[in-house]
Amino acid sequence: MRQVLEAILDKAVEAGASYADVRHVTGFTETISVKNRAVESMSHNREEGTGIRVLVDGAWGFASTCDSSATGLSGAASLAVQIARASARWKKARGVELSPLRPVDTRWRSPAAQDPFDVPSAEKISLLTDTSNAALSVPGTRIASATMTSFAEQKLFMSTEGSCIEQHITGCGATISVLAHDQNGVQTRSFSDFESRGYEFVRDLDLKPRAETLAGEAVNLLGAETCPRQKTDLVMGGSMVALQIHESCGHPIELDRVMGQEATFAGTSFLTLDKRESFMYGSPSVTITADATIDGGLGSFGYDDEGVHAQRTVIIDKGRFVNYLTSRETAAMFGQTSNGTMRAAGWSNIPLIRMTNINLEPGDWTLDEIIRDTKQGVFVDTPKSWSLDDKRLNFHFGQEIAYEIKDGSIGKMLKNPAHTAMTPQFWNACDAVANKQEWKVWGTPGCAKGEPVQVIHVGHGASPARFRGIRVGVGE
Amino acid sequence: MIGQDEMLRIVERVLRLSGCAETEAVLTGEHLHLTRFNDNSIHQNLSRRNYVLRVRVVKEQRTGTAVTNRTDDDAIRWLLDEASKSADSKPRNPDSKSLPSPREPRQVSGFYHSTHRYTAAERADAAGEAITRAQARGLDASGAFSTGTEEIAVANSHGIRVYNASTISFFRTIMSRGEITGYADRLSRNVLDFDFGQIANEALEKALHGGDSIPIEPGEYDTIFEEYAVADLVRFLGYLAFGALAKQEGRSFMATQMGQKVMGENISIWDDAADPRGLVTPFDLEGVPKQKVSIINKGVAEGVVYDSITATKDGKQSTGHSTGYGGRWLMGPMPSHMLLGTGNVSREAMIRSTSRGILVTRFHYTHCPEPAKLVATGTTRDGTFLVENGEITRRLKNLRFTESVLRAFSCVECISSTSRVVKDWWSTFSSVLPVIKVKGFTFTGSTTF
Repeated sequence: MRQVLEAILDKAVEAGASYADVRHVTGFTETISVKNRAVESMSHNREEGTGIRVLVDGAWGFASTCDSSATGLSGAASLAVQIARASARWKKARGVELSPLRPVDTRWRSPAAQDPFDVPSAEKISLLTDTSNAALSVPGTRIASATMTSFAEQKLFMSTEGSCIEQHITGCGATISVLAHDQNGVQTRSFSDFESRGYEFVRDLDLKPRAETLAGEAVNLLGAETCPRQKTDLVMGGSMVALQIHESCGHPIELDRVMGQEATFAGTSFLTLDKRESFMYGSPSVTITADATIDGGLGSFGYDDEGVHAQRTVIIDKGRFVNYLTSRETAAMFGQTSNGTMRAAGWSNIPLIRMTNINLEPGDWTLDEIIRDTKQGVFVDTPKSWSLDDKRLNFHFGQEIAYEIKDGSIGKMLKNPAHTAMTPQFWNACDAVANKQEWKVWGTPGCAKGEPVQVIHVGHGASPARFRGIRVGVGE
Repeated sequence: MIGQDEMLRIVERVLRLSGCAETEAVLTGEHLHLTRFNDNSIHQNLSRRNYVLRVRVVKEQRTGTAVTNRTDDDAIRWLLDEASKSADSKPRNPDSKSLPSPREPRQVSGFYHSTHRYTAAERADAAGEAITRAQARGLDASGAFSTGTEEIAVANSHGIRVYNASTISFFRTIMSRGEITGYADRLSRNVLDFDFGQIANEALEKALHGGDSIPIEPGEYDTIFEEYAVADLVRFLGYLAFGALAKQEGRSFMATQMGQKVMGENISIWDDAADPRGLVTPFDLEGVPKQKVSIINKGVAEGVVYDSITATKDGKQSTGHSTGYGGRWLMGPMPSHMLLGTGNVSREAMIRSTSRGILVTRFHYTHCPEPAKLVATGTTRDGTFLVENGEITRRLKNLRFTESVLRAFSCVECISSTSRVVKDWWSTFSSVLPVIKVKGFTFTGSTTF
């Protein structure tokens, strides 16, 4: 395949490209879904193809194809150049410039003790069926679903600068969803986590006891009081903090979004260029990093889709906003080098600036200490809905479950919780973050961005945290 | 394009090589071309080509599926082998019934050579029309323009043999001056339906109207929703309530309120993939012809959409709304071509009849915190205006709504006499929708721009 891709790059250069890179990707996915003890779906998916990106006359063109024949690939290269020439009719005066990058010839593989594709399907079905059964054992449970997904991706990246990078990423994860309903309404409890790791990750998820606990909570939520509307102290569980990071930090720090390149669909960002190095995004308790090197993180890799090595970048340093996620093109605008976040979903898509693992660094509290230190508040966990304005300022998050906190103790269960705030005010209200023992990297397999939309894997390191004086329980 | 003969040859080849009692092969192809522009220049421009072959086998009430994007014999044997092994490793499902049988397809055509042959240079020129108009007024244009061709062939061991080719084009633009923005888009199977200058002018008008934005207190307001915004209200009805699986599982209000009044009498919603105002489509991902389904009739819940699996459970026939079997999309059948019935007033008359209210162009990042009650939330964007004494007076800073969609559709005061095909923010559906005015719509928050 190396020779084939080299030929494509040569073709692009002959046609007039000043730079070109090419990705050949083969992807495997297995999804097994059990609902109320019955295997609802079991599917295997294998896809492969090639995408070529070119710079011609200072403008980008991209073409991808599933046709791996010499004719098909050559045609894609020619088409990419043709598209770039069309782009050049309306390019910026300076054209695209790329920050420097030393080429590498290397291989990288994600950690996996046991390849999930080596595990017999019967074993996986048995685990999922037992999980569904565990939830259904709780009286009042109506629907109990358990899904397991395994994935593997083999990628070969080459560029006209001389890079040749082969990467193998394997991972898996599971989702549980339990639904209870009665004449008064419907309540759900769920769990989801993924890592770029082998089947050992799924084994350690303790799906069966977890499902039983979730089912009990779903049933109890039916009879719980509605979370009252109030301004109060909000303590969030780790999975909820993970989504908060994703939506209100991870996306607004994408520099292409800041530059307006996602305006028509996903929106722009309130973190305008003048805010870098000066804006207090959060309190001193808030340090947020982008780290593609975390072992097993769902957003981890060896090299991004421009050939830039995975790295760790501090984004928010004790509350102060200091860095964006960048590409070679956007970093060049500031005389910097890329911090390695250009990623494409699969082979058919153009690379975009994407999150890697975006993490709220742990503090030095335990969750118990945070609760004991809270006189009046609400503890919430597991996101149910999320909505932000198109600059990522005003947000509304709904959760599946909440508990009243009174005089330092967890009290009654509350249903239909939600909270709303403005992003900087919210993160500046953070005054306690739980420690490393309560910190984990949550895998989010469904981060969407771009036109056409691309869905990519990201991770979020998070531990429980407290935010003072937040509007909760908005809307019945 | 591969073309009808070759597409059918491939799916029939799957059936010939299969040793299973029941086999289904679905081959879908996409050629998508998309040009994106921002800050008055093209920043992304791409083309992608992919063909995906899905196989479903049923062996003694055990179903297995496999998917690949290769169509040679080795790939087909791999698919059949994987699907068969998947079926073998599952216990029998007593609810499993056979694959659908052929029915007479509806004759619709959604293929236009004009769209199929559209070039990268022509797309760039179209972007250039928006850019030029923006530059002339000192504004920045951003947007996206896509053209594409899709093919689908479905065959199964009960005799279904269908093929369809269609084209699709979508142009949208935002005109910006600082934080002030205006939006417009058009969707059609025929790119020649687009007047790019007109679309750009619609967005420009929104961006230039109303001066700098002012804040308004959240609360209940009589609100006029343009078609783009109505699409997001209808979206939650579509994917949370109008499919048979949601009804069967008790997640939808249709489970308990079928035959009852659930919205205002002036609201009728139906699904019709043959209506020429929408993106016409003949059959679903099981090869079953799409039927017209009355969902809400003068405010009364009347029906849901089915695929073959949910139809069997309710003793009905599939209405041709399968979203495919075995994929990640396990929400069951979905409406695909919703229409909301028109009324008898114009958008301008709605504005004139409003003493104090809000005009919303479009929503952003809508979601549903309470799916069972269809309580939705989201923020306005790209043109939110104050209406006073029958006139648009000021531009407003964007607002967050939190409102029950059912309640909103029970409080529709008037509906425009015209409608057009639009997508919701997430492009879940393409629906034919009018402008509507809702009495007392609830806004619960606001933002700074």
